[in-house]
Amino acid sequence: MWLPLLGLLFGAIIGSAISFQIPLIYAKYMSVAVLASLDSVFGGVKSVLEETFDGTILLTGFFTNTLLAALLAYLGDRLGVDLYLAAVFAFGVRLFQNLATIRHYLLCRSLKNYKGCPRK
Amino acid sequence: MRKWVLPITIVCIISGLLLSLQFKAQASLSSNPIGQRNKALVELIQNLEQEIVKYQNELTSLREELENIENNKASGQEDIQKLQQKVQKAKLKAGLLSVKGRGIKIILDDNKAGLNANPNDDPNRYIIHYENILNIITELKLGRAEAISINGQRIVTPSEIRCVGNVILVNTTRLAPPFEISAIGNPDFLEEVLISGEYDLLKGAGFPVSYTKYTKENPLEIPAYTGTFQFNYVKINE
Repeated sequence: MWLPLLGLLFGAIIGSAISFQIPLIYAKYMSVAVLASLDSVFGGVKSVLEETFDGTILLTGFFTNTLLAALLAYLGDRLGVDLYLAAVFAFGVRLFQNLATIRHYLLCRSLKNYKGCPRK
Repeated sequence: MRKWVLPITIVCIISGLLLSLQFKAQASLSSNPIGQRNKALVELIQNLEQEIVKYQNELTSLREELENIENNKASGQEDIQKLQQKVQKAKLKAGLLSVKGRGIKIILDDNKAGLNANPNDDPNRYIIHYENILNIITELKLGRAEAISINGQRIVTPSEIRCVGNVILVNTTRLAPPFEISAIGNPDFLEEVLISGEYDLLKGAGFPVSYTKYTKENPLEIPAYTGTFQFNYVKINE
């Protein structure tokens, strides 16, 4: 249960410990990639609660979403289209939806007489 | 261990990594692009200044070497000793020797109190400009100052006093207030020209300016000029 949280912490510690730094010009694309990866994490948690979890889908989704988001943002910059905003919007909305669903499931589990349980 | 733990943990580790890397990138981005450009320019200036210091050191060591050679040749020969004295005198006149003597030291600073009292006023009215320094130097020369320095920069023939942006350049060295102008000469003469010129105007305008006279017992020291003299176009007219 606590392993994913420890993993998050562990990753953060590694990231701050190593001296590597993303070149500033790529920071913008990186921000979209971070958003996509966070979206995958919450999507995974949601699917666990929904009992539709599939490890393969999560991992492939995670890598393709993260890379594609960064690539699209980069491509958008080359073309003069702010595709980066589209990625922020899409992942942002999904992130909040996932968070809402997770909250509903958790409420459902902790409160016996909670009426708003999501249908399975 | 349930089957979802491992994949989510992997995803979490990578997310954490990306997050912290992004944090770091943002932290270093904290300043705007102009700030970054300024940073690059400041770095450039600092590098160039380091280079100047390096060349000055090189110059000093070369001069020392030259002196050694002169000294070696002069062993026991009276003519050359006289010549050496001449060289020494010429160096003194050119400002290549560190000197001391009676004189006057003037300290000029920006009128911060005045600016704080009138924050809506033009700040240019409350800072020391290069013209002020230039005028005071000219007046000190009028008062027969024999050696002058500003913040340790000896004023010699090729010295410039120049305004670049918000700094003052003297001998291509950036100076910041408070400005300390030292001049060796007759302290009474120097005081006389000083208090009837630019200094008085600055004092009247409320600038925190002051001066001290230095006596024989307590001499003023002025460093040597460390830059170069370039004569690429000048030829002796015979």
